Amino acid sequence: MTDTQPSLQLAATAKPPFYRDATFVKWLVQVATLVVTLFAIGFLAREAGDSLRAKSIQTGFGFLDVDPAISLGEGIDTDPATGGRALWVGMVNTIRMAAAGIVLATILGTLIGIGRLSSNWLVAKLASGFIEYMRNIPLLVHIILFFVTIAVVFPDFGENVDPVTGEVTQGPWNGVIHVSNKGFSVPRVHIEDGFYQWLIIVVIGCFAARWISRQRRITRDQTGNETYPLISALGVVAAFGAIGWFIHPIFGFVGDLLFAPIRDLIDATPPNLVQLLLCVVAIIAAGLWIKGFFDARRTPGDSAKLTDDDWFRVIFAGFAAATACVVFLVLWPGLSSWLVNSSRDLFDVLANKFGEGRGNIGDDPPFGVSMPDIEKRGNFANMGPAGLNLTQGFAAVFFGVVLYTAAFVAEIVRGGILAVPKGQTEAALAVGLRRSTMLRRVILPQAFRVSLPPLGNQYLNLTKNTSLAIAVGYTDVVQVGQTIFNQTGRSLEVFIIWMLFYLACSLTISVVVNFFNVRLKIVER
Amino acid sequence: MSFSDATAAVSDELAARDDIIICDSVDKWYGDFQALKGVSATIKEREVVVVLGPSGSGKSTWIRCINRLEQHQSGRIIVDGVELTNDTRNIEKIRSEVGMVFQQFNLFPHLSVIDNISLAPLWVRKRPRAEAERLASDLLERVGIPEQAEKFPGQLSGGQQQRVAIARALAMEPRIMLFDEPTSALDPEMIKEVLDVMKELAVGGMTMMVVTHEMGFAREVADRVIFMESGEIVEAGTPEHFFTDPQEDRTKLFLSQIL
Repeated sequence: MTDTQPSLQLAATAKPPFYRDATFVKWLVQVATLVVTLFAIGFLAREAGDSLRAKSIQTGFGFLDVDPAISLGEGIDTDPATGGRALWVGMVNTIRMAAAGIVLATILGTLIGIGRLSSNWLVAKLASGFIEYMRNIPLLVHIILFFVTIAVVFPDFGENVDPVTGEVTQGPWNGVIHVSNKGFSVPRVHIEDGFYQWLIIVVIGCFAARWISRQRRITRDQTGNETYPLISALGVVAAFGAIGWFIHPIFGFVGDLLFAPIRDLIDATPPNLVQLLLCVVAIIAAGLWIKGFFDARRTPGDSAKLTDDDWFRVIFAGFAAATACVVFLVLWPGLSSWLVNSSRDLFDVLANKFGEGRGNIGDDPPFGVSMPDIEKRGNFANMGPAGLNLTQGFAAVFFGVVLYTAAFVAEIVRGGILAVPKGQTEAALAVGLRRSTMLRRVILPQAFRVSLPPLGNQYLNLTKNTSLAIAVGYTDVVQVGQTIFNQTGRSLEVFIIWMLFYLACSLTISVVVNFFNVRLKIVER
Repeated sequence: MSFSDATAAVSDELAARDDIIICDSVDKWYGDFQALKGVSATIKEREVVVVLGPSGSGKSTWIRCINRLEQHQSGRIIVDGVELTNDTRNIEKIRSEVGMVFQQFNLFPHLSVIDNISLAPLWVRKRPRAEAERLASDLLERVGIPEQAEKFPGQLSGGQQQRVAIARALAMEPRIMLFDEPTSALDPEMIKEVLDVMKELAVGGMTMMVVTHEMGFAREVADRVIFMESGEIVEAGTPEHFFTDPQEDRTKLFLSQIL
């Protein structure tokens, strides 16, 4: 006994040689990987720099502030003043397409997925046929097929055949609805001077509605009488909107009293100071968020244990802060001109927007309606910006990506529904739910819980697939970027912008999907 | 010996009550396998019937036919004067009058306890939410777990889950309750709490059909015990008669194996 005691102690305290120490080995491998990666990146960057210099190719982001001398087919600004503005127009087009596409593909895919499981033979076979047709043909072929179909099937632009008399007329039908091989155009509701003041009233209305719905909910819980909190809230917002339509000019002072002083303050400070301050704020905000995140996950007596999801969020916070710094430091001078197409800075624009439309009470309605028009550009007639236009290129890409993605969404939703245990259906039917109610209240909420992660992947695919717009000349960020680097030769820079843009889109989608994923999680003990 | 009507051999008082479930030579096949072979029985109002039998004898299939979770292929089932046919309106009417409790609880895991119970009143009976939730709280009180209202099914014990399932079935204010092995998936110490709730229901005058292996419950609460084997009703009678003086050899064999 006395013999074994010291040797046991010795065995417990003896340190293993460093090459067997698990902690050390783990760190060594990590550091070695980092060094090798950094070395590889540095080597490639130096080689690229050398060969660019050898070919005397110039680099730099100067083209962002220079007139690109291009006009774009469609977007928030068809004659951008700078390269940065042109790329921003492309980005907005991409975001617009991706956002609308995600919503529509989800709805359509869910319906088709349910349809494929339908007990109705015809519906089930139609859904299967659609899915197999869409997913077995490349997306590019779908897009070009839609593009050509629109060109072939619909009447020439600027020329319409009256279906009754056979008479050939120029221009859009009635000036109201226009259908042609260049696309479709209908009247558009646009914002007028006074919209922003009206918006203030609606926002106030939203707060009021929130308060009222909360009060009514409390009353309901106390008295047990139904008080319709949601309907009352909607009613309050509608009432504020209606009254605001007439009285919004009273908020014209916001421009002068709120945004003009901020503008003057920024003008009075050295520009670099504002930029640096904004960077510091962004970094502090991200740091605080990450710290709070770690604190929330810290268990007593143990360091924070982070899952892959948590790491993803931390990395996203870091990426957001870094992006903000790049925007504030590098892109600041051009930023306001890209976003609002003016050389004035953002607060000047806001001061003006809120200062506009401040006539008498009842003047300047916040919205107006504009009718479709024709715009002549040289010899080519085009749909003008007044109407709400669905151009040939947008329609081809949009229906292409939406229907293609809907096929995959349908399969995911079908899988999710099949993953819901049969007992759920039986229990729902046994309490007397109709099939449609059961689907909505019991089956789909559980199916989406299973489907959400793969659905997120499809949303990423859809967003990236919109870059195929280049095939039909729709002015998304890739098409605009390619035009610019053809003209300026700044290919590397444009590639960097593309990559950062798509990275930002993908990370945003991932964060949103993750958020819902956490919320939909079934609560277990 | 075949039972054309298994109601024979029960008390006169019971026989005098109105019929609420009538099954007349019900047949059910799964492919080539005949799960029910001409099952005939009449259940009286406020009667508690316990269905016994070895596994695979068709007990569950039979009570699942009564609210049409399974379709019978021939014969007639009449529940509270409404015949079960392909008429969807009849099926809906019967389902809203017949509550069912399952072996695996089948609670909706994405809804809180109170939402589980108020779902059907809200969407089938179209009650206002406040009223549906008040009804749900009352039912939770009745099954003895009012404090669990805001929890989710995954946070409850098996016995609590099954009591929530009973409350959910009661929320439609059914005249008939079907129990499909309600205690078979429970740990032994939780069986009693569920059986107590069922006993209270029986005392309260609910018509009940219970498939179970709880002989104690059958003896104490049942008005009638029906023994099934191979898709047929072999023997039926009052619990005393059934447990002390079984007539059929198959019944005797079954009882000797389980008692």
